[in-house]
Amino acid sequence: MKTLRRFLTRLSSWAHTQQDDDRLRSEIEDHIAMQTADNIRAGLSPVDARREALLKFGAVEAMKEDYRDQRGMPLMETLILDTRHALRRLRMAPAFTITTILTLALGIGATTSIFTLAHAVLLKSLPVANPAELYRLGKEARCCYWSSYRQDKEISLVSYDQYKYFRDNTKGFTELAAFAAGGALFGARRSGATEAAQSYPGEYVSGNYFAMFGINAYAGRMLTSADDRPSAPPVVVMSYRLWQQKYASDAAMIGSIVNLDDRPFTVVGITPPGFFGDTLRNTPPDFFLPLNAEQSIDGDLNNPSTAWLDLIGRIQPGAQASSIEAEMRVELRQWLLSHWGEMDANERATFADQTLYLLPGGAGITSMREQYEHWLQILMMVSGFVLLIVCANVANLMLVRGMERRRQTSLSIALGARPYRVISQTLTESILLSLFGGAAGLGVAFGCTRLILHFTFASSGVPISASPSIPVLLFALAVSLLTGIAFGVAPAWMATRVDPIEALRGAGRSTARTGSFSRKTLVVLQTAFSLALLTSSGLLTAALYTLEHQDFGFEQDGRLIAKIDPRLSGYKRDQLTPLYQRIRDALAAMPGVSVVAVGFYSPLNGNNWGGSVWMDGRPAPGPKEESSASMDRVTADFFDAVGNPIVSGRGITAQDTATSRHVAVVNQSFARKYFKGEDPIGKHFGRLESRTSRSYEIVGVAKDARYLTTGLAKPIGPLYFLPEAQHDLPETDPGSHFLHDIVIVTRPGVNLSAAQVTQAMAAVDPNLPVILIRPLSEQVTGVFRQQRLIARITSLFGILSLLLAGIGIYGITAYNAGCRTTEIGVRMALGASRSDAVRLILRGALWLIACGLVVGMPLAFAAGRFLGNQLYGVNPFSPSVTLVAVATLGLSALVASLVPALRTSRISPVEALRAE
Amino acid sequence: MKEKTDVLQGTLALMVLKTLDVLGSLHGYGIARRIEQISGDLLSVNQGTLYPVLLKLEQEGSIASAWGVSENKRKARFYRLTRAGRKQLRAETRSWEDTAAIIARFFAAKAEDLK
Repeated sequence: MKTLRRFLTRLSSWAHTQQDDDRLRSEIEDHIAMQTADNIRAGLSPVDARREALLKFGAVEAMKEDYRDQRGMPLMETLILDTRHALRRLRMAPAFTITTILTLALGIGATTSIFTLAHAVLLKSLPVANPAELYRLGKEARCCYWSSYRQDKEISLVSYDQYKYFRDNTKGFTELAAFAAGGALFGARRSGATEAAQSYPGEYVSGNYFAMFGINAYAGRMLTSADDRPSAPPVVVMSYRLWQQKYASDAAMIGSIVNLDDRPFTVVGITPPGFFGDTLRNTPPDFFLPLNAEQSIDGDLNNPSTAWLDLIGRIQPGAQASSIEAEMRVELRQWLLSHWGEMDANERATFADQTLYLLPGGAGITSMREQYEHWLQILMMVSGFVLLIVCANVANLMLVRGMERRRQTSLSIALGARPYRVISQTLTESILLSLFGGAAGLGVAFGCTRLILHFTFASSGVPISASPSIPVLLFALAVSLLTGIAFGVAPAWMATRVDPIEALRGAGRSTARTGSFSRKTLVVLQTAFSLALLTSSGLLTAALYTLEHQDFGFEQDGRLIAKIDPRLSGYKRDQLTPLYQRIRDALAAMPGVSVVAVGFYSPLNGNNWGGSVWMDGRPAPGPKEESSASMDRVTADFFDAVGNPIVSGRGITAQDTATSRHVAVVNQSFARKYFKGEDPIGKHFGRLESRTSRSYEIVGVAKDARYLTTGLAKPIGPLYFLPEAQHDLPETDPGSHFLHDIVIVTRPGVNLSAAQVTQAMAAVDPNLPVILIRPLSEQVTGVFRQQRLIARITSLFGILSLLLAGIGIYGITAYNAGCRTTEIGVRMALGASRSDAVRLILRGALWLIACGLVVGMPLAFAAGRFLGNQLYGVNPFSPSVTLVAVATLGLSALVASLVPALRTSRISPVEALRAE
Repeated sequence: MKEKTDVLQGTLALMVLKTLDVLGSLHGYGIARRIEQISGDLLSVNQGTLYPVLLKLEQEGSIASAWGVSENKRKARFYRLTRAGRKQLRAETRSWEDTAAIIARFFAAKAEDLK
């Protein structure tokens, strides 16, 4: 209380400095006058009386100083004074100031930029009301379609029937909403528009989806439970982004009709601008449709065994998530038991293992988090290293500056300056520098983040903003302050360790190289960090090279992929085979085109379809048995089109029609896994789902080729190809007949433009949108975009660190050489040769580099370990990569130290001696 | 050096409070004279040190000050004890007496008493 009161008084008196000074002066005068009067009364002469009075009062100035310390806010005054002083000093050394600020801006900017991404992807909650109340089902983010009776490890997706059961029976939720897992595309066309349908991402959501998130419409209204009924009129909510970009924020949009996959929907509302749905992803949904609309488009809604819905619920205030989880586990069992009759033997066998988990869902479905977490950690580590190197470099600059100011500092100390004042002055200067660096760094961070976003999620609507937010600004500020302290403490401490006598001795006479030890340590650390960075970037580049130059098993040159989705234009199953034939004919008729084929997916297009397979003549695979294979569905000539060689038998041809015997082509891995050593041709197999039918006869074996973008570091897995024209009996998988990828092979030297393809496709069906046209090679490089980006950023940081380390080594060698000019002059006067002089200077520098490399080696290995499985089989301790890194660093360091060494050796002895 | 000032300031503060308690409202010079009369040489050289102490006490609210006219018809700043100051004086007097008593007992104790 007393302290607070004093503080407040001090604060106010700080504002009244002048007035208080006057008061003190007059009090002192009064005091002395009274004392003088008393002295005169005691018999002294007036002059002596005043003298005595002054003596008795004591040192007026010291007292005033004491008084001022008591009165105002000395700390704040000192801070302002120091800041002003530091600013003046920085202004006087523009070269130093600008270099330092730029260096800092690079370090702080790099770190902040990576933090911006990490914050958006890893830490941020969804932009909804009270995200802490949200809980989601499932530890693992899954996509697409699973079985609702049996899922590996946990039930993460549920069927519509399961959702309703959970929703109606679980007490702890205020709202439990469901939405389709993974994204889907819809062919959208505003009713009455003349243009062809265009594809946009959309999502089926339960009627209470927006109510659960607490999201209100930007315009119109959001979906309600009344919209999500089987007989409800079809309505849809549009994203703000689409409304603004495509329809120019047209107010008439609300209430108008949009055709989605050729079915009319009334737009009832626009989502608020920041809302991007339940999942942070590249393609946030532009349309939100009620779950019940799915029935008329895909038809999975009322199938209780198809799990395709994610769940997020808002729990009641004060409810325990753990007790809700326990409740839902019981409900899951009850639900499964009520469907016991529909489950097959394997599903019944794993009944006891089925469980579920409820996790905090404030960040939504975090598939992107899982996807990018390790990458972002790597980038954080890399940028942290760069920041440390930057700190070391700036600390070195500051130390040199401290040396130059030695004389001034020792003079101040000789005159009675307290050490903490000297420290606080130097620290103020470094913190000011780092704050300026941080401010400039924000600019660097903004640009850097934009660049990374551009390269990672080019042309997509990923809702991550590069502009600094409050947490990012705070982060940058904290990093700047920490950096300032980190690189300022050592120089500040060094500054107080000067001997006041030195000031009296005159500059440059001293032989003791104060601060030389800490400067050397900094250079050693810098070299070490730089080595770790260079090794990391070398490893990542090597891994990328291995990935990109592997044998993919198919051809990339002269091939175009055109993506379509016949479902978007309302094609029915029996119209598909003729459609593909028309497309193939139309495209093959174009000049310069040699082969055209259509496939469910082309190599490395990112999709995977598959399930368990059952060899004819063997028992059905058990629940724990590994029996999976990926599946592709193709038209004739597909293997020629992608350049995937057939090693025995034949490929899929035009003879494989709807009425001919059912055939399949398998890859070598499939043959090895399921027919160890036997010739697979002529053997039969089927899909486990079809249970009764094992009717696929193997007619050919294709060379192993990479179709899947997952498991790139692993050997190619089993894969089989089915003819597009043949349908399973009974039908297990109608969706796989809607092929996506047209592969167009051009003759050598022919350049086919996207416009030509679009035109030819428009002749086939103007309502069939071509989603994307790109060369197959681009599709392949696209798979490695992330790896390439990380390798490039790390390499960039590696080169930056190399440069900084070089500058550091140059700096210390030049400084030491400068200090030893006289010594070298004397040596040379006594007969030492130039090479002796060079050797003398180089010895010190090389010793530092060697130390740095030795310290850096374990660091580099640790970094390699951390990169771990991102290296796709490249040995994290790869001797060749380490060797190259060591050689690069050593060579650059050698050059950096050779320059000042040669310069020193060129000095004439006479000049060196006279320089003193 | 700093510690010594603290001790001096501590005792000085107590003396100032006591002086004001006994004599009522008084100006700086008067306080200095009074302390000098009673304590001898504590302030004989450094009367000036009194003023920072007065300021600190005033900031803490133990004393208050106002301009007035001295007995010699001179303008002077007069200090007086506040209610809080009186309380502080009582508390510090007690603690000072306690300390003094303990120290006195220590000094009075002879070697044989401890056996």
